[in-house]
Amino acid sequence: MADHLLKKKIRKTIAVAVAEDPNTMGALFRAVQAGFARAVFLGKAARIRELALEETGRDDWFILEDVPAEKEAVYRAMNMVREGEADVLMKGLVGTDLFLRAVLDKEKGLLPPDTVMSYVCAIQLPRYPKLLFVTDTAVLPYPDLKQKAAMLRYAVNMARRFGIGQPRVALIGASEKISENIHTSTDAALLCKMVERGQLPECVIDGPLDIFLACDPESVRIKGVHTPVNGEADILLFPTLEACNAFYKGLMLFGGGELAGLIQGTTKPVVVMSRSESPASKYYCVALSCLMAEENT
Amino acid sequence: MVMITKLDQMFDVLREKPSKHLVAAYANDRHTVAAVEMARSMGLVEATLVGDRDAIQKSCKEEKIDPSVFNIVHEKEDMQAARTAVDLINEGRGDLLMKGLVSSDKYMRAILDKENGLMDPGAILTHVTVMEIPSYHKLLIVGDVAIIPLPGLKEKTAILKELIKTAHRLGNENPKVAVLAATEQVLPKIPACVDAAILSKMASRGQIKGAIVEGPLALDVIVDKESARIKKVNSEVAGDADCILFPNIESGNAFYKFNTKLAGGELSAIVVGGRVPAVLSSRGDSARTKLYSIALAAMMA
Repeated sequence: MADHLLKKKIRKTIAVAVAEDPNTMGALFRAVQAGFARAVFLGKAARIRELALEETGRDDWFILEDVPAEKEAVYRAMNMVREGEADVLMKGLVGTDLFLRAVLDKEKGLLPPDTVMSYVCAIQLPRYPKLLFVTDTAVLPYPDLKQKAAMLRYAVNMARRFGIGQPRVALIGASEKISENIHTSTDAALLCKMVERGQLPECVIDGPLDIFLACDPESVRIKGVHTPVNGEADILLFPTLEACNAFYKGLMLFGGGELAGLIQGTTKPVVVMSRSESPASKYYCVALSCLMAEENT
Repeated sequence: MVMITKLDQMFDVLREKPSKHLVAAYANDRHTVAAVEMARSMGLVEATLVGDRDAIQKSCKEEKIDPSVFNIVHEKEDMQAARTAVDLINEGRGDLLMKGLVSSDKYMRAILDKENGLMDPGAILTHVTVMEIPSYHKLLIVGDVAIIPLPGLKEKTAILKELIKTAHRLGNENPKVAVLAATEQVLPKIPACVDAAILSKMASRGQIKGAIVEGPLALDVIVDKESARIKKVNSEVAGDADCILFPNIESGNAFYKFNTKLAGGELSAIVVGGRVPAVLSSRGDSARTKLYSIALAAMMA
């Protein structure tokens, strides 16, 4: 991703709200050093400087604006993004609640009216031959059909940014059977048909499929299920937050995975990272936000 | 077996096979006796007439039919005649049922009777109509135009299976089934669209076998290739459907009545889902329609 950004001469400005945050400092420093990001830190200036010296040994690689009050820092950072002074909004040491509420603010926020906010992660795994885009790991607990349609659009859009023109989408369920009583299975059927009818972005889609049928061609062969995804999914769309969240955390913990994730639906990229993510994943999140901030890739 | 593309062709197929046995419930009237005799004399079926012996014999005389060609079982009263006819079927003495002068209500009650009727547990009674429309290049098998007012997904699955089974019996091994709605778009607020998309996927998963199922499709796209091309619906069902599943009784009923009254269509119709097929023709049906319906029931028996 970093190579791609540099080759395309992409360099984006990231406004970090409440930046006195050791959690994000390292990843941003790496991104700035790599040359695809500029950092603007908004928060308690003295504390930010102190932390930067502690974490990176330098305090000259970012633009600093002293905004001591948390909420103010968030709104100031968001305003920079709205006004085009920055390309990406990133959460620092501030509660996710307060931060997202600001993003959702009808007048000053970054989410257009009637837009679904969701979350897509790109996951890199040693034992899968390509990136796996999964959604929604973080925002929508029980997405309905309209929200799933939005999730699909976001994931396909992100996959395209990675050069996957015709991504293979698996709508995850516990089985490939469609049952009237399992509404996630009927939703999957509807999404497939909506893609077929051109109501959603073009992609190769099938579902419901379990993880084996989505990601393992051998299982497809053994089960004899005719599926165009053919065990080579690029995108996994999960029916619930719990399923998706448990899946990606399992991959991080047991599968040696690294990830890059981003809020979706906003007018400009918004980065919200979990403290427990690895330094590499944090760096990838920053890189992903710069990639998605670029209009023409 | 050759695929049947005209209703008349059923006669040839039936003549080649051992005759099925028809049981007519309350066959007192001339219309019923005449239709049964027509089918019998053409070699399509053998027949038992249940009803008032005197009335049957009188009707035979009026139609110049020798009553001895039938097996006649005497029942004076209409409801009891329907019950007896059903009993004969359950005793293995008949392969298909036909309605005579008894009302549809009583006829259906005899079929649906929990203890002595024709239904297996969980079975769903539905109605299949096979239409021959001069401007269409083959037969159209449609349902449900007469029994289930507003089928849910489970009933639609049952109707679909009967449509497919009918196509198979008419020699079409892999029929193209269209699930009708007002548009091709999957509109989540319109149940017809939603169910159609689900049924279509169930078929592609092999949960509904023996057919290509596509929907939602609007009628123009179902029967007209040019419309399908213009609307960019890329499906082999579009413009070439063998079967149409209707989302409710009103749309199906209007479709078949329009085609018979204004488009010169002929039809044959039966009640299915019970242990044997049943003819439910109304007094308004032509003799031709009755004959076709008996033939279709014999094909399905």
